Amino acid sequence: MNFIAFVEGPLVWIAFLTFLLGSALRLLLFFTLSSKKDKPVYRFFNLKWMLLSIARWLFPANVDLKKNPIFASLGYIFHICLLAVPLFYSAHLMLWEESRFKWSWWTMPDHWADWMTLTLLAIALFFIIRRIVLPGVRIITTPSDYLLIVICALPFLTGYINTHPDGLSYQWITSALPIYGQYGTTIHIMSGALMLIVVPFTKLSHWVLFFVSRAVTGMEFGRRNYPV
Amino acid sequence: MSEDQYPEITISPEAIKQAVSTRMNARLKMWTRICAHCGLCADSCHFYLAKNKDPRMVPSFKAQKLKELVRKKGRVDENYLQSLYDIAFGDCTVCRRCTMYCPFGIDMAVMVSTIRSILTSQGVAPKGLQDAIKNYQESGNQMAISEEDWVETLQWMEEELQDELPGATIPIDKKGARIMYTVNAREPKFYPQDIQLAAKLFHVVGEDWTLPSKMGWDDTNLAMFAGDAKTAGHIVQLIYDRAVELDVQYVAITECGHAFRSVAFEGPVWLGKDYPFKVVHSVELFAQYIREGRLEFDRKITEPITYQDPCNVSRNGGLADTARYIIKHIAEDFREMEPHGNHNFCCSGGGGAIPMGPPFKRRRMEAGKVKADQIKATGAKIVICPCHNCYDQVNDLNKEYNLGIKVKSFKEIFEEIMHIPEELKAQEEEDLGEGK
Ligand code: SF4
Ligand code: SF4
Ligand code: SF4
Repeated sequence: MNFIAFVEGPLVWIAFLTFLLGSALRLLLFFTLSSKKDKPVYRFFNLKWMLLSIARWLFPANVDLKKNPIFASLGYIFHICLLAVPLFYSAHLMLWEESRFKWSWWTMPDHWADWMTLTLLAIALFFIIRRIVLPGVRIITTPSDYLLIVICALPFLTGYINTHPDGLSYQWITSALPIYGQYGTTIHIMSGALMLIVVPFTKLSHWVLFFVSRAVTGMEFGRRNYPV
Repeated sequence: MSEDQYPEITISPEAIKQAVSTRMNARLKMWTRICAHCGLCADSCHFYLAKNKDPRMVPSFKAQKLKELVRKKGRVDENYLQSLYDIAFGDCTVCRRCTMYCPFGIDMAVMVSTIRSILTSQGVAPKGLQDAIKNYQESGNQMAISEEDWVETLQWMEEELQDELPGATIPIDKKGARIMYTVNAREPKFYPQDIQLAAKLFHVVGEDWTLPSKMGWDDTNLAMFAGDAKTAGHIVQLIYDRAVELDVQYVAITECGHAFRSVAFEGPVWLGKDYPFKVVHSVELFAQYIREGRLEFDRKITEPITYQDPCNVSRNGGLADTARYIIKHIAEDFREMEPHGNHNFCCSGGGGAIPMGPPFKRRRMEAGKVKADQIKATGAKIVICPCHNCYDQVNDLNKEYNLGIKVKSFKEIFEEIMHIPEELKAQEEEDLGEGK
């Protein structure tokens, strides 16, 4: 099997499985340890406070939007783009349709995908600059925080370049890195795979643990009879 | 910069490693893992705001020291312990305000408390808290007041009160009473008037109440702030035992914030069991009396009033609205601080900062600037503080920042304007008249 075939076949499988099983394992680890060491979580379990807390923060119905409107809004937009483009981009859907699953769902117009991709990249750049500029954020920033922004942005950057072969970005990259012309798609897939693979091992595991953490804190304040 | 040297200890890497690992539960591990280092919590902390946005005051910076501590596996030196000590005890009042602004709901106050707990387990805790813990263990109260002195104080207060309200009593160990009242050890020690005011109020509203003579009357819990769960649980167990012996329906907590939090919310966790009685804070009890028409007022206070939401009564006690219900009945010109309620800023006297004593005073005066500015902005002349720590702290802020205010508890306000039925009062004038 040559390299390209490996990336397009097994690597994609490995990435998806690592992402899904790894995330499931994170949850499982939480529940096994917490059943021994976090008994109050179960003792004061309350569906109402749990769901309220999750909903308030999953949707823009929380206090941070008032306190830091710009950063909080950009955070929401970033996450929406991050999820929507890979899930609903038409060319991705074609791959799902052609796959053994033959799955198909709604796709977004391609110019939406373009704009959302550019938006995400711009916000990613803003996040990096913000980390450098604001002392209060810089002090808690670790190298991995920068690295993860880059890892998340890469699939979008390469995706944009690849889908615009007549654009400036494509010309720049192929002149700087001639093999890109041949390996563009492979690099794009690899960057996507990398992003999926790191999720369970980094703070990106918050895509599942967000729900757990919000639930725990929502219920803790729910004992005081008000939602957070 | 270190304010206070931590008490001398010999560092035992093995013991520290052990202390860390037994405390790292699933929530703490999750929170050290998922913090996005986004900084949204930064400007929610009064230390950060008061210290000109010093990045070292960012809540996540303080809380994530826990992650660092886990990584060090016990390999720490004196300087490192000193820096942790300064952060966990000096730069955070575990008020939980930041928790409300973290998108993940990461409970940074719990993380800082865990650092405190690890330090305390190694003997690295402010002397003020360590002394209090010893007192709790030996005498059941933080100020080592003997049972004799306690009961004598109650009797003395009862006698004084009877000069004013002849029928009023301070019932000790009354079995089957509706409520068992518990106090802050400061009251018998420095402010016995507080107990008298409570007794007066209970008499006027016709409450069926009692105080225990034995250990369990002090509802404060400084062991909680030191992270000593064993002693903290012991303190609540004493209250539990007295309440069960006296067979009461309610345990009422004096106007003290952390006492309420420890008995009502943390106690059931430490003891691992539910109570056969309910726990009420004074604020809730007072509101009940007003609602039931048992507590009435002759007039309202006309001077502008503001309310200091104690973190452990409002945010951590859920009584923000209840307090405002009372205020509606006693204040003509009520002015809210901004922010207020569950989102109030801590006064900076919380988390044990006051009992930690003089070495920590400069810090709480500095961080308290946020509260001082809030109070100033209301233009209020009276600040109601239903928490002993807030009360002291706001008094200190008053001096430090020339606020020109009076600090009062609810009981002190009631004392001024409460309606006392004629038949309860001493009949002095009549007696005099007859003698003429
Ligand atoms: S707001 Fe929450 S996630 Fe963001 S830095 Fe603070 S603790 Fe971490
Ligand atoms: S708990 Fe309070 S004092 Fe501590 S970091 Fe959070 S906001 Fe600041
Ligand atoms: S002293 Fe008062 S405001 Fe300050 S932490 Fe306690 S309850 Fe909070």
